[in-house]
Amino acid sequence: MNRNDEPGPLRVVIAEDAAIMRDGLTQTLTRRGHQVVAAVADGDSLLRAVAQLQPNVAIIDVRMPPTHRDEGLQAAHAIKRDHPGVGVLVFSQYIETRSATELLAGARGGVGYLLKDRVADVGDFIEAISQVAHGGTVLDPEVVKQLLTASRRADALSSLTPREREVLSLIAQGRSNTAIAETLVISPGVVEKHVASIFAKLGLLPSDSDNRRVIAAMKYLQS
Amino acid sequence: MRRQSEPNGSRRAGPYAVLMHDAWAWLRRHPWETDVALAGAILLLSLGQTTADPLIGVVSLALAATVLARRKYPVEAFAVAVAVAATQVVYGLSPGGGYLIGAWQPTVADIVLAVLLYTVAANTAPRTSVACLAVCIALSAIAIERWGPANSRHPLDSILAAAALLGSVSLTAWVVGESIAYRHRAASYASLEARAAQLEAERDAQARIAAAAERARELEVRRARAVDQSAARLRRIERDLHDGAQVRLAALAMTLGEIKENLESAADLAGDGGRTQRLISAAHRNAKETLAELRDLARGIHPPVLDHGIGPALDSLAETSAVPVGLALDVKHRPSPAIEAIAYFCAAELLANVAKHAGASKAEISVTSDRDRFGMTVSDDGLGRARLSPEGGLEGLLERVQTVDGQLTIDSPAGGPTRITVSLPGHA
Repeated sequence: MNRNDEPGPLRVVIAEDAAIMRDGLTQTLTRRGHQVVAAVADGDSLLRAVAQLQPNVAIIDVRMPPTHRDEGLQAAHAIKRDHPGVGVLVFSQYIETRSATELLAGARGGVGYLLKDRVADVGDFIEAISQVAHGGTVLDPEVVKQLLTASRRADALSSLTPREREVLSLIAQGRSNTAIAETLVISPGVVEKHVASIFAKLGLLPSDSDNRRVIAAMKYLQS
Repeated sequence: MRRQSEPNGSRRAGPYAVLMHDAWAWLRRHPWETDVALAGAILLLSLGQTTADPLIGVVSLALAATVLARRKYPVEAFAVAVAVAATQVVYGLSPGGGYLIGAWQPTVADIVLAVLLYTVAANTAPRTSVACLAVCIALSAIAIERWGPANSRHPLDSILAAAALLGSVSLTAWVVGESIAYRHRAASYASLEARAAQLEAERDAQARIAAAAERARELEVRRARAVDQSAARLRRIERDLHDGAQVRLAALAMTLGEIKENLESAADLAGDGGRTQRLISAAHRNAKETLAELRDLARGIHPPVLDHGIGPALDSLAETSAVPVGLALDVKHRPSPAIEAIAYFCAAELLANVAKHAGASKAEISVTSDRDRFGMTVSDDGLGRARLSPEGGLEGLLERVQTVDGQLTIDSPAGGPTRITVSLPGHA
């Protein structure tokens, strides 16, 4: 992980209707030197706060008042449409693959979709926020797992080695080559070789941008 | 015939009784032939008197003819015969002896009066037959009064004897007829009573059926309410979990995660050989596992995706299925939440079965939903042989479907394809 390389504190807006989670996130972020400029409990307040404060990133719970359905998701789409520069990290109690892939495909980076459980691994979660704030793309491992399970490309995928499947999964989660090398404890050079092999086997065009790489992998698995 | 139906055969009839029984039975079966024979016999008996005047034959013929009409028009036939007989009494007999007008002298054919009185007594109300009896006795008395004295030296004795004779003939005919009528009436009362009892039984049965139907309707309404309430309660439980336990646990896990990271960066300062760190790590891991379990539990109670309707929910199922799933939705009317939940769990279980057992390369879900009916068919091109078995997944689905009077039909021949159809009411 390259969290130490990230420059400066982030300006964050939190939208979460559960006070305990809202406060917990605020404290955690503040302790790490980030600035929580607004913490709100519903979609409308979120849109107003984002428009006024132009934060680096908004952390958004999917289910919020008044209907407790997908207010957060709607708000996330609206923010990416009206303020493409603001990073959006949606976190949800449940995985909805379709919601996740729609959100990612509709944006050019600066977007993430994580299961709420991920807050437990504080470091990784903060890293994900930072990644999204800086234009990166983050997809929950659970979503990637479902995409791989349900993929219609079972034949092509079966031509990958187990290691290559691991790497593909990490690519789809939005990890950079450096991050993948750290996670799998291998050298960046080996990762690059794996990536090249995967893209060749699946017939994907190599891409320098991690974002485009995620979208390509996601779309491939979905098609 | 009757004796055969009496199990003990307590009355054993001799050959004579059998003969009589058969004869009467024949007569009852052939009323027309009987009456023609009777009229013919009466006419024949009276023919001896026609030597005096051939016109007597004509009057006798008229009297005999009334017998033919007796069954259909008993009272009218009796009236005609009485009219003829009265004419005979008035014009046929001379108070001084002999005949006033020869053709109208009384004949043997007058016996038809007895036959007709019997018929009237047997077939009409007692009041009518008593009146007819009175007419007969009165007529007999007049006849004897006019005719008797001419032929006797002791007029009063003869008149009394003749009156007794003629009157007893009428009375006998009437009594026999009345007894027949009584038997008919008794039989008809018995059948009326039986019919009344039957009607009462039918009415009771209908009342019981109506009460049962009413009860069934009431139970249906109650069940529908219970099913809806239970669906709403499950949804509430899921939301309570989401807003309560799940959030608190996530916050707890986050805090543990923070403590763990702090300890890691200050590992050397802990001074207890990393014991605290290990404990915190275990607590952190437990919290995360509990979160995952709680999430699965909540999703099993009420899949949140159902809040968007059965279409998006099935769409989401199809997307995460390991076997490619085609989806054909025709939802004209959204069913009640309880029905949607049943349909969703059925689809989830059936798709899981397809992935696990069918060896299929693709599956298809088609849904048609209107106001009254929700129908869903899940088919696959696998190996078939899907069966209901106790403890099996399909059995569980069948139970779920039957809670709302739905149906589950399995068409899965060996070698495939498999088609499983779930039919549910639009509302529980």
